[in-house]
Amino acid sequence: MTRELKVVGKPVARAEAVDKVTGAAAYTHDLSLPGMLHTALVLSPHASARIVSIDTAAAEAIPGVRVVLTGDGLCYQLGLYMQDKCILARGVVRYQGEAVVAIAADTLDQARAACKLVQVEYEELPSVLDPRIAKEDTTHLVHPDLHTYDHMQGVFFPKAHSNIAHHQKIRKGDFDQAFASSEVQLTASFYNPPVQHVPMETHATIAQALPQQRAELWTSSQSPYTVRHLMSVCFGVPHANFRVHVPFVGGGFGGKAGLGLEPLAYVLSKAANGRPVKVVATREQEFNTLPSRQGLHSTIEIGAGRDGKITALKSTYIWDAGAYADYGVNIGRAAAYSGGGPYAIDNCWIDSYVVYTNKVFGTAYRGFGHLEVLWGIERAMDQMARKLGMDPAEFRRMNLLKEGDTTITGESFTSGHGKPQACLDAVAEAISWGIPSDPPLEPHKVRGKGLAMLHKAPAMPTYTSCAVVMKLDEDGGADILVSGVDYGQGTYTVLRQIAAEELSIAIEKVHITWECDTAFSPYDWQTVASRFAYMGGNAVIEAAADCLKQIRSMASQALDIAPEKLICEDGHVYPEGSPDRAISYAKLALGYTFENGNSIGGPVVGHGRFIAKGLTHLDPETGQGLPAQYWTYGAHAAEIEVDTQTGEIEVLNIVSALDAGKVLNPKLCIGQVVGGVVQGLGSALWEGFVFDDQGRFLNPAFVDYKIPTAKDIPHRTQQILLENPQPGGPYGARGVAEHPMISIPSAIGNALYDALGIEFTTLPLNYERILSRIRERADGS
Amino acid sequence: MLGNFEYKKVRSVEEGSRCLVDAGGSGAILAGGTDLLVEIRNSIKSPSLLVDCKGIEALSAFEHSPIETNIGASVPLNQLIEHKSFRETFPALTDALLSIGTYQLRSRATVAGNICNASPAADSAPVLLVRGAVVEATGANGVRSIPIQEFFTGVKKTSLQLGEIVTSVRLPAESGLRTAFLKQQRVRGHDLAVANIAGAYTPESNTLRMAIGSCAPTPVLMEPIPVDSNDVGAFSAHVAGLVMKAVSPISDVRASAAYRNAVLPTLARRIVYAVLDGQGGGN
Amino acid sequence: MHEIRFTVNGQAESKRVEATTTLLELLRDRLALTGTKEGCGIGECGACTVLMDGAPVTSCLVLAVEADGHAIETIEGEAVSGELSILQQAFIDAGATQCGFCTPGMIMSARGLLNRIPEPSTEEIVEAIAGNLCRCTGYEAIVEAVRIASQRMAGGGVQ
Repeated sequence: MTRELKVVGKPVARAEAVDKVTGAAAYTHDLSLPGMLHTALVLSPHASARIVSIDTAAAEAIPGVRVVLTGDGLCYQLGLYMQDKCILARGVVRYQGEAVVAIAADTLDQARAACKLVQVEYEELPSVLDPRIAKEDTTHLVHPDLHTYDHMQGVFFPKAHSNIAHHQKIRKGDFDQAFASSEVQLTASFYNPPVQHVPMETHATIAQALPQQRAELWTSSQSPYTVRHLMSVCFGVPHANFRVHVPFVGGGFGGKAGLGLEPLAYVLSKAANGRPVKVVATREQEFNTLPSRQGLHSTIEIGAGRDGKITALKSTYIWDAGAYADYGVNIGRAAAYSGGGPYAIDNCWIDSYVVYTNKVFGTAYRGFGHLEVLWGIERAMDQMARKLGMDPAEFRRMNLLKEGDTTITGESFTSGHGKPQACLDAVAEAISWGIPSDPPLEPHKVRGKGLAMLHKAPAMPTYTSCAVVMKLDEDGGADILVSGVDYGQGTYTVLRQIAAEELSIAIEKVHITWECDTAFSPYDWQTVASRFAYMGGNAVIEAAADCLKQIRSMASQALDIAPEKLICEDGHVYPEGSPDRAISYAKLALGYTFENGNSIGGPVVGHGRFIAKGLTHLDPETGQGLPAQYWTYGAHAAEIEVDTQTGEIEVLNIVSALDAGKVLNPKLCIGQVVGGVVQGLGSALWEGFVFDDQGRFLNPAFVDYKIPTAKDIPHRTQQILLENPQPGGPYGARGVAEHPMISIPSAIGNALYDALGIEFTTLPLNYERILSRIRERADGS
Repeated sequence: MLGNFEYKKVRSVEEGSRCLVDAGGSGAILAGGTDLLVEIRNSIKSPSLLVDCKGIEALSAFEHSPIETNIGASVPLNQLIEHKSFRETFPALTDALLSIGTYQLRSRATVAGNICNASPAADSAPVLLVRGAVVEATGANGVRSIPIQEFFTGVKKTSLQLGEIVTSVRLPAESGLRTAFLKQQRVRGHDLAVANIAGAYTPESNTLRMAIGSCAPTPVLMEPIPVDSNDVGAFSAHVAGLVMKAVSPISDVRASAAYRNAVLPTLARRIVYAVLDGQGGGN
Repeated sequence: MHEIRFTVNGQAESKRVEATTTLLELLRDRLALTGTKEGCGIGECGACTVLMDGAPVTSCLVLAVEADGHAIETIEGEAVSGELSILQQAFIDAGATQCGFCTPGMIMSARGLLNRIPEPSTEEIVEAIAGNLCRCTGYEAIVEAVRIASQRMAGGGVQ
């Protein structure tokens, strides 16, 4: 594509920013319906227990209380990939924090007061908290009936009578043989604790049950159509019975994909005879009750020749799925097929186990398992480099996927994949790799540099799709209807840019209806996986072409010129060479009327769609197949400073390079990268759930769960965006939404080795852990 | 919000005191509210009456003179921090107050509230202790001046009697005093203390006073330490040893006892250097 | 019940409130000023920041009764007669909003700062917004927005 782009690639500001800076943007938290009830929850205090009895009499007597629900009357199983979840705990509780009773009342205070009066009798049961133990335990089963659960056949393989929700295998080549015969070998183990997305807007849903098994919902969600679908399947009604609205969403990061509070809000409204019911998670519930990012124990074995060429890699992942594993099983799958890192490895075996434990459950989280897995891989790469006596960057260069290589699932690496090595080289140069940091001012401080690669493809079903409707306005503007969600990434702005470019109209004339409404906005799979700009962009291109085809058809008749001889430019259509005969889109938007009154054509409504192409299921035994629509590669380099007396770590610089294919909007893209880097820092340095030995969540609030503030960001960051086009991507673009976060902990961990000579294998790399390891080494232990 | 309390804005300290007495121990003073309202929300405290003294003019007074400084109980932290002369006179206390919460919190929080909440980690406490602050309180039995080292009696417990209201915190002037404050946090952003520590060096008497917070049931003021400034390194190590003997850190969700024990000697040494090596500011 | 009189964005209001009602609840539920958000309820995240007599406060920890006699400013008062303030425009131009949920609180903290210190240093900007959590932007664009706003205001722009 050599034409000069007018608006794609430009740093266009978000149109809806005005709504955000004035407080006009309405989030589900802000919405209210007449007669709306408010909800409070009674949570389980135990990690594992049988519910013996629930006494709600006193709660029901509180004035204003309209509905009190327990799990008994709600015999539904929910799930997209694995149907293992109920709306409220039924019979047993499986994690401390699980919702047991829901109360809807006229006011929130009444609902909360009523909850305090609910008496639940529990019989505590043994719990399994460590997934490594749970994996082998066949007597303490989080889901004894696992073998009866519906799940996506042929894709996920739960192991009956165990705590293993899924086991994903990759078998490429012969690891055992290659490892045994390799000249240099490394084995290392790593751990990521569970963390939370921490969207600033907690989960919130309003549901209004309507007659004849219908309902209308407003929900802070990343996936209105998935909500609609799963509700339809769960309650056994036609899809169109559920109308889902998604207004402004205050952050998602994967945590608002799939079903959240929607089923609960719906059953409460049904029980309240159709009064709308609002369910809003408190911040504590956001941590303790709503899903998290799974923890991960990983063990990595690498075999290489003395020349530095990796010949064998084996990983065992034990995912701490928590009490429910719906999204967890897919993360276990996706992380496995990415588990070789961006490297060419002929012999690669991966076993990825998704294991139930009695803790709050995991779901999709930005990176979908890749941050967790690459913590281990990229740390192990550095360790192996050291064993080989090689520079870590050089070791990576030697092993990065190049044209002609195959990935661990047998996919061919082509020039269309982008240039991972260019990303590595870019960050290495920017951080002055190989040149030690300037010495710190204080003698008790040390500095270090580290780098890490990253890669990810959208982890999505082979049939993932997106549709867009585009209608022209009488003023020549265009309205786009889509149900992907813009929850801060800025994709709507990018889609407007693409529409403006394709239609050749000013971007100010392109509008995108902010609220998704499944009654009006056409289908989009889910806004996760860094695929919305790619698929939505392609769908917009097709929809714009459809609109132009309709415009040309009418103009052709109006001007008596063949359609292919017509130019569409700047909101007008004219015959090549005769711009004086131009007709504006405005005059065609609702059909064309000749001077004599005869009208032809009709309102211009275009549609476009995109479906994933060429993807295949992974072979259950070998994991071979084509899971990835496209891969995005990148690298980070970090420079850090450590106070060796307190363990305090300060991040001086993070340089990030991503091969974006085409930067559709540099301002938005940089915003994604900086935001992802800082979110990654949270995972790297501070974040992690703390449980006591009874499985009780100890830090479900900002007092003791720390996310980065403006004081915690690196002194400097730098973003380098490469543009090696992605075939099939809109203007050559790839998704980059999740990637900036991935491998941030790895780069920091590698920098810590450079600074201290200490291998860190457990996150977070907080001050206490750093100091403890420094002192251990000083003690000679 | 959840909670079941009445609210009374009182016009005088006596009225406030009477309200507290009448509430028989289930009343609480609402100052900045940044601790109390959180505790009510989290059902840790359930007072039946909140008494608001912020309308009493005398409690909003902040008097600062070369002789002494009197911080009224209702004076928000930001007002102190943004007062140039206060900053210059009390640099360590300013550091301590700046470390409390966020800017928004400091618009509401007060020194009196910080010490009355009596968390072992109260950030104002160590400096107030080494500076010999005096807590002025008025109750049913009249006015009382409580030396700060007698104020904290246990975790979240003070020596205030039922009905006694802190009206101000008095800081005597001590010319030549060199002070410093350090706080170990888990992050650079706002945080409770893993450990906090203050030191005050009096050149006249050549003594060092140290106080440590977050490492015992109350903030701890140590006995004055005679200073040997010939070998600051050795002296600082000596002080670090004394500090470790004075406290008994526990493990909690914020930090392990091991980490507290590991950083405290470093903080103590740094305080000594700060007050002896000329970096510790003072009046 | 308590009768309170206060102003919100310059407009006089009077309400009867329970002692237990917070200023945040008063603004959002009784005055339909939903621009101010609840993010945590314990004063840790800053999403509920408003100005009280010019000082940024977390309204989740201010009782409605405590607002009696005081002047409250919320995000809804930042634009005047539909005209975005320099600060708001700077947020747009700097790309300082992503999901936007933290934005009202951020702007109020920044407004409080610029009212107090028209030409703040980077350190002063960071200190002013460090009590406002943002999960999306990584803060760089927000600091830049405040810097741009202060430069534009110094250049002679009103507010």
